[in-house]
Amino acid sequence: MMGRLVPGEIPLNIAEKNKLWEQKFNFYKAVLLDIFFVFYSILVIQRAIYYKFLVGLRDIPFSWGQTLIIFILSIIAGTLWTGTRTSLSCKLFGIAKDNKVTKWTVEIFSWFLFDLTFIAGWIITKISIVSLFSSEGLQGAGRIFGALFQPQFGIFDDVLFAMIETIYIALVATLISIPPTLLISFFTARNLMKESKITLAVYYILRIILNFIRSVEPLIWAIIFSVWVGIGPFAGMIALLVHSIASNAKLYSEAIESIEAGPVEAVSATGANKIQIVWHAVVPQIILPFLSFTIYRWDINVRMATIIGLVGGGGIGTMLMQYQGLARWREVGLIVLMIAFVVWVMDYISAKIREAIY
Amino acid sequence: MDFNKRMLLKVQNLKKIYDSGTHALNGINFEVNEGEFLVVIGLSGSGKSTLLRCINRLIEPTSGTIKFLEKDITHIKGEELRKIKMQIGMVFQQFNLIKRRSVISNVINGKLGSLGTLESILENYSDDVYFEANKCLEIVGIKEKAKDRADSLSGGQQQRVAIARSLMQNPKLLLADEPVASLDPATSNSIMQYFEKINKEFGTTVICSLHFLSLVRRYASRVIALKAGEIIYEGAPSGINESWFKTIYGEDAGEVEIK
Repeated sequence: MMGRLVPGEIPLNIAEKNKLWEQKFNFYKAVLLDIFFVFYSILVIQRAIYYKFLVGLRDIPFSWGQTLIIFILSIIAGTLWTGTRTSLSCKLFGIAKDNKVTKWTVEIFSWFLFDLTFIAGWIITKISIVSLFSSEGLQGAGRIFGALFQPQFGIFDDVLFAMIETIYIALVATLISIPPTLLISFFTARNLMKESKITLAVYYILRIILNFIRSVEPLIWAIIFSVWVGIGPFAGMIALLVHSIASNAKLYSEAIESIEAGPVEAVSATGANKIQIVWHAVVPQIILPFLSFTIYRWDINVRMATIIGLVGGGGIGTMLMQYQGLARWREVGLIVLMIAFVVWVMDYISAKIREAIY
Repeated sequence: MDFNKRMLLKVQNLKKIYDSGTHALNGINFEVNEGEFLVVIGLSGSGKSTLLRCINRLIEPTSGTIKFLEKDITHIKGEELRKIKMQIGMVFQQFNLIKRRSVISNVINGKLGSLGTLESILENYSDDVYFEANKCLEIVGIKEKAKDRADSLSGGQQQRVAIARSLMQNPKLLLADEPVASLDPATSNSIMQYFEKINKEFGTTVICSLHFLSLVRRYASRVIALKAGEIIYEGAPSGINESWFKTIYGEDAGEVEIK
């Protein structure tokens, strides 16, 4: 049975159509980006460079009307610019004309954007070499540094206990975070959830929630929980717990997404059910990265526990805040030394453990 | 041997178009009787892997029908599909063992379908299961490696474990997707001998895709050749002469001998 060679028209058509559609889509994206570039440039020049630097105003006048006019101008300019197919965005999305004009526009405008941003940054952060090296400032710094390097060992016991409290806050937060994180991470791994529309919806909803939780800093969570459950180590622990779950769920699910497909395929080919596939083909591949991430999270949590102590999360951070408020720099010195030592030890231990299990 | 003439697999007008628009299979028709050693040949990308994966439904075909033991399995799902998968073993080019687990637990993985979920999660298997797994390892001659980690074995040994894993299923049909493509020539031959042994001694039907024609001539009872998703040759391995070879592999191809 001699075969006829495949005409192969249909796949070509599909590919061709996809390409055209993509180009069209890329054009719209380029328009939006060009509008943004123009809008950004005008705003930065007007507000940071003109008002703040050249005119030297402290309070910059702001009106929505003016901003709207600038925005409309940007829309017109940006759209026209993209229309010429020589703009920076056209180049970025691969739809630019291949000629000298494009080359020069891209080069000049990239440098322009970069320099503009850098100059604006310089103005906004109020970089001042003078105040960095003023004699008055240097004296103050010297006084604090001197005190820090002469720590007051009289409060050593208190500092030690506060430090232990901090380490335990971090440890408990990490331990409690493990089971919920494990459970969530399977539902936020794309390769396990992409099969049906319902599971995919669950995947997206969970991702959005986790992204939100993660984008709120532990410091903010600590403030929220210190109102909720009262100031102290418990508030700090919950704050770390919440953030640990959200952060590690992402890392865990990325580990799940990067597993080898072969063993999963092999186990599912034997007729194993979904739970068996996950347990026997997915879990053995992710157990080490999971352990590693968890140990690393404990390490991170010890550092964060110090910081959230500053807003009433208990432990050594709270103590640091108290002595700093009293300007007792020699006590602060001892606390800072202790924190540095523990962080260094934790960092070392966690690195060693992670090395050993791989 | 006439009893063995019962039809095991019937593939009719099978087509597979991937989401990317690739036509992997363009209307495949063939039948496999029990006890056959069918070899599928063809260039990379000719549709061999897709065909094998459609048969045990790792991939769902776009159209056409696949009948396994008179039952239409083309679009079955869930529990029904698992029952079919349990009867079809599969061996892969990359072995696909769970690297960190022991050889014996990899072999037991082949039986997961017929073990209870809780039992398999707690790995609280009965002595019968261990006995059976050891027997499968004995067939492929690496019983002494049972407690070793799978990734401590050589390529050939890993493939033997993979064969033992599929034997654990007591398969009626054994699929092998280029099982020797990542092994050296000597090991390739010894692996093929295990397939032959399984085929001859247990009467298990084997469908295997291969690259080396010398292996095809030695082990196949029948050959089908794929090109661009269609069958262009079907018949005895001895029928593949010089001109067929050029048709299947292209004008520039030369045959590589493997002893």
